[in-house]
Amino acid sequence: MNVIEIEDVHKAYEDVAVLRGVSLHVMRGTVYGLLGPNGSGKTTLIHVMLGFLRPDRGTLRVLGSNQLQRIDGRVGYVPERLRYHTRYTAREYLHYLGRFSNLSGAALSSRINAELGAVGLTAVADRQLSTFSRGMLQRIGIAQALLSEPELLLIDEPTSGLDPGGQHDVIALLDRVRTRGCTIFMATHFLDEAELLCDRIGVLHAGRIAAETEMHRLRGPGGSVVITVEALPPGMAEMLASFSPAVRCIGQEITLAPNTPALQARVLRALLDGGVAILSLVPQHRPIEEFYLRAVRGEKAPDRASQAMEPSPDAIVPPPPGPSGTGDTLLRELLSREEGRQRSEPESDA
Amino acid sequence: MSALHRTLQFAVFTLIEYLRSGRIMVEALATAAAFYLLFRRWTTPMAPEYFFSTVGLFTLGLTFYTGSAILALGDRPPGYVLLARRLGRGPYLLGLYTAILAVTWGVYGVICLLVAATNPVDGLDLRGWLLGTAPLLLNLALLAALLTLLSPIVLPAPWRLAVLALVALAFSGSLIGGPTMASLPAPVAVGLDVLRTVLSTPLLPAFTGFAISVSRDYSGVSIAIPVAQLFLVIGMLALAVYTFARRELIFSS
Repeated sequence: MNVIEIEDVHKAYEDVAVLRGVSLHVMRGTVYGLLGPNGSGKTTLIHVMLGFLRPDRGTLRVLGSNQLQRIDGRVGYVPERLRYHTRYTAREYLHYLGRFSNLSGAALSSRINAELGAVGLTAVADRQLSTFSRGMLQRIGIAQALLSEPELLLIDEPTSGLDPGGQHDVIALLDRVRTRGCTIFMATHFLDEAELLCDRIGVLHAGRIAAETEMHRLRGPGGSVVITVEALPPGMAEMLASFSPAVRCIGQEITLAPNTPALQARVLRALLDGGVAILSLVPQHRPIEEFYLRAVRGEKAPDRASQAMEPSPDAIVPPPPGPSGTGDTLLRELLSREEGRQRSEPESDA
Repeated sequence: MSALHRTLQFAVFTLIEYLRSGRIMVEALATAAAFYLLFRRWTTPMAPEYFFSTVGLFTLGLTFYTGSAILALGDRPPGYVLLARRLGRGPYLLGLYTAILAVTWGVYGVICLLVAATNPVDGLDLRGWLLGTAPLLLNLALLAALLTLLSPIVLPAPWRLAVLALVALAFSGSLIGGPTMASLPAPVAVGLDVLRTVLSTPLLPAFTGFAISVSRDYSGVSIAIPVAQLFLVIGMLALAVYTFARRELIFSS
């Protein structure tokens, strides 16, 4: 079932057309990433969905309703640029917002405590928001949006303006939020967060969805990949090279070009069985970046089904879900071995 | 939670923010200055007419400041977070309005208490105070309603200019007087006169309300004046809420 259904929506500010026929659908329980450069109309589209703005043309249904001003309470909204009432403490702010969502009494207190805990702000709950860092403000923004346990979460630029630590925290937090089963619609111009969080992405360019695809299509193996290892034991380089002419070993780097699921799985298996410590596995180009750039340049390749996209493996962490034979199982095994090794190291040190 | 409850909740929310922002210091300082200059004990006792006319003008002036400051608080992007919830646009606007009234009526109350404690008005009993206070507070409510209606979140700029032009036309009687009117072609002068009369009618309750506040004379049809003030307040607020609920929401950044 679709939680968001947008058909041919147009919106102009005076004579400036911002949305020029946007159509997209978001399925329940998924994370949709709306990518686009600054000023492409992402915030406008979210404000249309919230009923703040009226479309000039086209139809919208959010949570099955086209009365957009009446769906408030079922939708959580995290605005861009951390725009909150900062003269309240975190707890006070959530208390008032909870009251405006028809929550009260013990139920409200319990929800506030749960959300403050979920975003890791319990210790600073009684501090005024004006003293919060940008990362903390973004976390309180996510907490307020989740307070009424919405069915749909609309997030506008979740990591914009945050330092790398703040970005990491917010992405990790949103990754936990997605496990609640809440549908998430996220506007962003950062490809990293879309890559890590989204199930499906669309690129908003020139007022339209210029390209749209499932993320797993961009996460699959392909292209070329470089595996960096600690050291290759004698004879290992020759053995790997014998698998295929596509394998080249130079020093600590093993390049698979072109990469295939079977070849990658075979090489990783050989390395694991040989007890070789793998330091990294990095694709040599980022499919999402290529997808995005092609879309904003108006190139034909990334059609809506993304059939023409050249798939490529993702980075080793986190291991993406993928079809059998893509090396996914091996990657997970590799990770679990690595985690086991890290766990055992402090013990052996002791 | 009812719309009234949500309105009051949001008014409290706005007031807390207003207090913590420090803007309330302007009202506090203005009140202290007004009390020192206008209402402290001089050589002669203070007459009721002096008190009500002076405090009436002072609080009207203060309402301009407080109304503008609180409406500006409501015209900021954090408002999107509130309006994405179940607060509703009506309670949002009326909450801002209620917060304005709470501050301006509060200032009036403080001045009255200070005057009663340090320099009681000569011959003014509780009944007389209530009779003078009712139209005075309704006038503050009327001005606050007008400011709310004319705020950028309610009316777009062209409409605000149009309403202000009509108000200016209604007040133009004191500027465009006899000689100027006489120099105008007869149809224009008559048309202008009619227009002024029509446009100044809604202002009548405000002016007569001020006069009743000073005189406390409710004889004849004067008793209808506070009722007219109240209906005018309700009418303006209804128009403001209707407009705000239907316009596109673009807060100042």
